[in-house]
Amino acid sequence: MKRKIELYGRLRDAGLGSSLVLDLPAHTSAREALSALKPSFGPLLTGCVLASDDAVLSPNDVLPRTGRLALLPPVCGG
Amino acid sequence: MTFVTKSALNITSLERAVSSPRRGAVCSFVGTVRSLHAGRRVNAVSYDCFVPLAEKELSRIAKRAQSRFPVRVAISHRIGRLKVGAASVAIAAGSVHRAEAFEACRFVIEEIKRTVPVWKKEHYAGGDGRWLPGCALHKKL
Repeated sequence: MKRKIELYGRLRDAGLGSSLVLDLPAHTSAREALSALKPSFGPLLTGCVLASDDAVLSPNDVLPRTGRLALLPPVCGG
Repeated sequence: MTFVTKSALNITSLERAVSSPRRGAVCSFVGTVRSLHAGRRVNAVSYDCFVPLAEKELSRIAKRAQSRFPVRVAISHRIGRLKVGAASVAIAAGSVHRAEAFEACRFVIEEIKRTVPVWKKEHYAGGDGRWLPGCALHKKL
């Protein structure tokens, strides 16, 4: 399945724009999706997590089939 | 009341949201863009945000603060490019006595820095910029 993954913070400067599309098998875990993203981001991926529009995904969580999906670097709000 | 906005923050509306005749204390915290960071002159800061999750997390933080302290809390976080001096985050806490309101404001800002998906890019006087390092997110169990 093709999933759009939104990019934020320092990931926007990786030369890929504000999102990318990955072709992933059904029932892909967050850990497997992060592995698939590694070639695109290299060390920039350190400390990053995947999140739905409702929650941060743990490595073993299966990617939700619907809704937004985002790759989030370490946060620094305020 | 918790929200993310591209507009200027209105601390008065937050204070009004947490005020009541039974509460004798309203404490506010406003974070602003500063002109100097790590020895570099800053012209502006851009705030990036994954809005749907950020708004849910702000709401969760407000609920955590209200279960931890006898307070009512309101929070707003601004996003977009902000000039030096502009308010980026505003928190108001209302309580019967002042101690809980002060503690709740401190709790909320520390939680925001740790858990809300917002990122800052500083724009320097020399024309360059830098995303600031942050705190890695983890799933709450």
